[in-house]
Amino acid sequence: MRPTAWLDVAAAGGLTAGLLAATAAPPDRLQGELQRLMYVHVPSAWLAYLAFAVTLVGSAGWLLRRRERWDRLAGASAEIGVFFTGLTLVTGSIWAKPVWGVWWTWDPRLVTTALLFFIYLGYLALRRSIVDPQARATRAAVLGAVAFVQVPIVHLSVVWWRTLHQPPTVIRPGGPSMDGDMLAALLVNLIAFTLVYLALLRRRIALARLGEEAERHLSGQEQPLAGEAITGPTLEGVHDDG
Amino acid sequence: MPVVRLEQVAVRLGPARILDGLDLQLAAGEAIGLVGPNGSGKTTLLRLLATLQPPDAGTGQVLGAALGSHETLRVRPHITLVGHAPALHPQLSLEENLRLVARLADVPSGRVHTSLKAVGLVAARERPARHCSQGMLRRTDLARTLITQPALLLLDEAHASLDAASAGLIELLVAEVTARRGAAVVVSHQPERLAGVVDRLVALEAGRLVGGEVPR
Amino acid sequence: MSLADTVPATAPHRAPFGRQVAELVRRDLVVEARAREALLVTFPFGAAALLVVPLAVGTDLALLRQLGPGLYWTVLLLFGALVALRHSAEEAPAERDLLALLGVDPEARFVSRVASSTVLLGAFQLLLAPVAIVLYDPALTGWWWWVATVPLVAVGVGLVGTLATGLTRNLGERTSLASLLVVVLALPLLLAATQILESARFGVRPWAWLGLLMLVDLVLSIAGLLSARTLEEAPA
Repeated sequence: MRPTAWLDVAAAGGLTAGLLAATAAPPDRLQGELQRLMYVHVPSAWLAYLAFAVTLVGSAGWLLRRRERWDRLAGASAEIGVFFTGLTLVTGSIWAKPVWGVWWTWDPRLVTTALLFFIYLGYLALRRSIVDPQARATRAAVLGAVAFVQVPIVHLSVVWWRTLHQPPTVIRPGGPSMDGDMLAALLVNLIAFTLVYLALLRRRIALARLGEEAERHLSGQEQPLAGEAITGPTLEGVHDDG
Repeated sequence: MPVVRLEQVAVRLGPARILDGLDLQLAAGEAIGLVGPNGSGKTTLLRLLATLQPPDAGTGQVLGAALGSHETLRVRPHITLVGHAPALHPQLSLEENLRLVARLADVPSGRVHTSLKAVGLVAARERPARHCSQGMLRRTDLARTLITQPALLLLDEAHASLDAASAGLIELLVAEVTARRGAAVVVSHQPERLAGVVDRLVALEAGRLVGGEVPR
Repeated sequence: MSLADTVPATAPHRAPFGRQVAELVRRDLVVEARAREALLVTFPFGAAALLVVPLAVGTDLALLRQLGPGLYWTVLLLFGALVALRHSAEEAPAERDLLALLGVDPEARFVSRVASSTVLLGAFQLLLAPVAIVLYDPALTGWWWWVATVPLVAVGVGLVGTLATGLTRNLGERTSLASLLVVVLALPLLLAATQILESARFGVRPWAWLGLLMLVDLVLSIAGLLSARTLEEAPA
C-alpha cells in the first residue's frame, strides 16, 4: 500500500479503538454516560490548538522560504483546525447543558476557544477572497502569525478577567479527577484523533497540490494573448433598421 | 549604458499572458512613442518600466537596477509615471496635491508654483481635485513631472483629455527630460501627434514590440 | 553605471522617514477634516447605539449604571473599527503607485496610518464619553485612569485596524471581514479597558491591566512594522 493509505488505515483503526475504549471505560459517578463526551471534546480541543500551531509553522515557513508547500500546510491545517474547534464548542455545549444547566460558561478556555474559532474562520475567509496565489499565501501567512501571537495574550486577559469574576461554584470543564481507566481511554482517543488529523492533513495537502497542478496545466497551455480577445468594433449593419 | 534594457521579458497577470518575449532598449536622451490597440498591454509595460510590476520571465534593467530586485527601490525616485487615472487625492486641492509630492520628493516647494504656472493652472490651484475637470487633473498630473524631474518619464494615454493647446505640454515635458539625458516613453492613441516629440515609434503587438519610424 | 551619467545632481532624493510620516499623517487628517466621515457618520452611529441599548434592555437605572462603562468600550471597539477601516483612508491605485515611486517606505505608510487613526479614535473616545455619562450615569471615581486608557486604546484599535486594512486591501467583502478581524484581535483591549475602570471604581490600582494594554500595543506594533513591507509587496 502507498504511504498515505497506511495513515488512513491507522486513523480508521485508531478511531475504532477510541470508540471501543470510550464505551468500555467506566461511566462517571456523577454525570453518568454523558461524561463520555469528554472523549471527543478534550481531544478535539487538543487537536484544534495543534492544528493552529501547525498553521503558524506553515505561515512562518512561507514568509521565510516562499515555497508553496508551506502555504499548503498552513491552509490545510487551518481548515482542519476550524473543524475541530467547532466540534469542541458543540460537544462542550451538549455536555454542559445537562450537567450544569447552561449551554455556556465564561471559563477562560471556552472563551479563548470561541475566539480561536472566529479568528481562524476569518483566516479561511481571507484565503477564499484572494485569487492570486502569491498574495493569498502572503496575507494569510501574516494573519496566521499575528493571530497566533495574539491568542496567548487574549487567553491571558480572559484568565485575569475571570479571576476577578469567580463564579460561586467552580465549574471546571476538565471534569473531575480521573479514574485510571478513564485516563487510559482518553489517551487512546487523543492518539486516535491525532492520527485522524494527520490523515486529513495529508489528504487536504494532496488535494491542494492537485488543484494547483490543474490550475497550472490550464494556464500553461498556449493561452491566447490577453490582447487578442479584443477586436476593433464593427459598425457595419448597425444602422440597418430592417 | 542604456536607460532601459529589456530582454525577452514576459508578464502574466493571473492566468493571462500580457507581455511575452519582449525586447526593448532605450538610450539616454531618447524618447519613444508606444502605440497599440486597446488591451494590448501598454499600461502593463509602463508599470513594468516603472519597476512597479516585476517580470515573470526574462531580464530587465531600468536605470541600472535589475527588475524584480531590491535595487529598483533605489532608482524609483528617478522615475515618474503619469498614468491613465490621475494620482491626485480628490479631497485635496491641486496645489496641496503637488505640495505633498514636492515634500515627499524632497524638492523645494517653490517648484510647485512654477509647475502650476507652466501648465496654466495657477488661478485654479486652490480648487479641490474632485471639483476639477479631467483636463485640469491631467495637466496637474503632468505638472508633477516638473517637480520630480525624473530620469525616466512614462506617460500613459498622453493626449487623453488634453485640448490642442495643452498638447504642446507633452512636447515640452519630453524635451526637458531628454535634454537632461533622461529617456521617455509616451503612449498615445494619436500617434500623429507624436511627430516631433519622439524619436521613434514602436507598436505593441502580440505581447512584443515592433519597431518603426515616426510617421511624417 | 551611476545615475550621474544620466541626470545632473539636481535629481530628487527621498524625504527622510520622519517627514514621510508627518506629511502622510497631515494628509490623512486634512482629508478627514474635509470628508468628515468619522465625525458626521460614525460618531452619531455610535452615540445612537448607546441610546438604543437601554430601549432594548430596560431602564433599570442601577443596572444601566453598572453596564455603562462596558457598553461605552464595546461601542468604542465596534465603531472604532469602522473609524480605523474608513474608506477615506484608502488610496486609489494611482496614488499608491505614486507613493511607491516617490520612495515612501512601507513602514512609514504603516506608522502614518496608525497615527492618523489613533488621533481620530482618541477624539472618538472623548466625544463619546459625555454621551455615555449622560445616558448611563456611571460612578466617576478614578476617572484619571480612564484618561490614561484613552491613548492606549486608541493606538491599539488603530494598530489592529491598519493591519486588517493591509490584509484585506482590494477585496470585495473588505469591510465585514476586516471588522471581524479587528473585533477579535482587539479583544484584550476591550477587557483591559473595562477592567481598568472597574478596578478604579473599587479603589484598586489597575497596573496589571495597563501593562496588558501596553503589551498588546507593543506586540501589534512590532507585528505591523515587520509585515508592512511584505503586505505592500504582495500583488493586489
